Amino acid sequence: MAGGILVSSENPSLTLELLGEARRLAGTTGFPVAACALGETGPELLESYRHVADVVYTFENPADSCRWLGALRAGVDASKPSLVLLGATKTGTELACRLAERTQASYAAWAVAVDIEPKTAVVSASCMLYAGAALAKYRFSRPMTVLTAAPGAFAACDSERSEGVLAVLEPTTGDTGVTVVGERRKDRRGTGLESARTVVDVGRGVRKIEDLEMVREVAGLLDGQLGCSRPVSSDRDWMPDWLGLSGAKVRPELCLTVGVSGAIQHMIGIRDARVIAAVNNDEDAAIFSQADVGVVADLYEFLPALADRIKARAVRPAWP
Amino acid sequence: MKIIALVKHSMDVAEIRVDPATKALKTTAAPRRFGDLDKGVVEAAVQLKESTGAEVEILCFGPPAATAAVKDLLAMGADSATVVADPFEGEADGATVARILQAALEKLSPFDLVLCGFASDDGYSFQTGPRLAERLGLPLVSYACSISVDSGMLVAERDLESVIQTVRAALPAVVTVAEEAFMARSVTLLQAMKAQKKPAQAWALGDLGLDRAELEQGFSYVSLGETGVIVSRRQKVLRGSDMGDLADELIDDLVDVGILDVQGGQ
Repeated sequence: MAGGILVSSENPSLTLELLGEARRLAGTTGFPVAACALGETGPELLESYRHVADVVYTFENPADSCRWLGALRAGVDASKPSLVLLGATKTGTELACRLAERTQASYAAWAVAVDIEPKTAVVSASCMLYAGAALAKYRFSRPMTVLTAAPGAFAACDSERSEGVLAVLEPTTGDTGVTVVGERRKDRRGTGLESARTVVDVGRGVRKIEDLEMVREVAGLLDGQLGCSRPVSSDRDWMPDWLGLSGAKVRPELCLTVGVSGAIQHMIGIRDARVIAAVNNDEDAAIFSQADVGVVADLYEFLPALADRIKARAVRPAWP
Repeated sequence: MKIIALVKHSMDVAEIRVDPATKALKTTAAPRRFGDLDKGVVEAAVQLKESTGAEVEILCFGPPAATAAVKDLLAMGADSATVVADPFEGEADGATVARILQAALEKLSPFDLVLCGFASDDGYSFQTGPRLAERLGLPLVSYACSISVDSGMLVAERDLESVIQTVRAALPAVVTVAEEAFMARSVTLLQAMKAQKKPAQAWALGDLGLDRAELEQGFSYVSLGETGVIVSRRQKVLRGSDMGDLADELIDDLVDVGILDVQGGQ
């Protein structure tokens, strides 16, 4: 049975991770790998996609998100895939559901492992369930399956495997009925969180942006970087990126959470830390059952005291 | 103007426990309730009601317990509620749920706006809004953090990863509400009492002309099993009123596990 794998995300590093998984599946099935290049796709990026994919579909105005659903549909029509693997960004998740609905495909979100049976092209996958509290294994029954995967779920290819061709496609038409009348960019700064050995993780218990200074002082003393939960980033816009199911996943030596409640969607971003220490004034907060050591205290009283004691005792991180 | 606020009577996923030996999920102990996300949907609808005079109907596909719990949402200022009984006990796939909600919406039509959460509190698979927009052939405005109506047009801000986008769309439309954008108001005792008298109707699949067995045939996957993700952390808890002592205890703990070094004296 013929089959193929199509991947896409407007996030370049996520696209490369999805391509890495697609290439791995191509190794077991012999299926061709195609990619839809959406978003800000410069020549260098297209080149890096081409090194992993057998065919890279490009589009006029690839940054126009109103055309992405039509672009994906055109990619599906051109490559007839058994599996469509999309990035679980906000936009990607929406597109995945719409594409699945439009094509009557099977769909599941938050895939962490995928398998395709070579002879029948039947797709099965392990997906995070209940916002990450569990894993579910599914076997899909439609001819095409659409899956989304979050950053970090799959590994990018480390070697150049193919020399794919570029092909220009025309998005299938379809007015979304929504007109974009304005856009303002959120503040974006590099964070270096992925490589930090200490992450101080800010939750909603930190009330004002000025209070971050107090948190930053402790982070500085522990050789740490600040991270935060999704509401702190996405609603308050204090930091550009968040930790969690839909955000970054870190694996530092120490993650010190301050004012984090311990919602499972967030814990997925930090649960690979070697040690989790938590400060929260709510004794019943879920974070305490997911931390190695918890301090039940008002963070506004505790953090200044912690900074004082770190300085008084000349405490340093144990790494050089 | 009529707004339909879609809510899910969902599982408190933070309360899911996992058997450490078998990794089996113990979901029955996790409470079912209308979570913050669903209350945010009702809050957004009631705010629009206050600015436009719209009527707000709550629609829920869920368990029998939802019929009583929905009174809490009516107390926030919604006018009426419909609960469609879920014979699948939460196990229907997203496409099937969308098909059922579409049938319910068509029976409740005409409406001008369908509001729902960007995702449900438990399934968290972000499906219902996009699927309904596709099925109903309506514009979709997802991740809305502000919503208003201006001369018959919907105007909304979308909270995306790197931008806040302002969009306009013709009504009727489907809007999904961003996380935490609308914090639910608190409800007075008087409002809670009045809510008991507001109309709340219960529908079964048959009332929508749908058949359980036929829907079940259309499920797009077979579940091969679920396993819990096990958290094995020390869960040590430090308490006390002296912050300096507490700080020392935390430092000592982190020294013991090789994270910190103490170079000074005491």
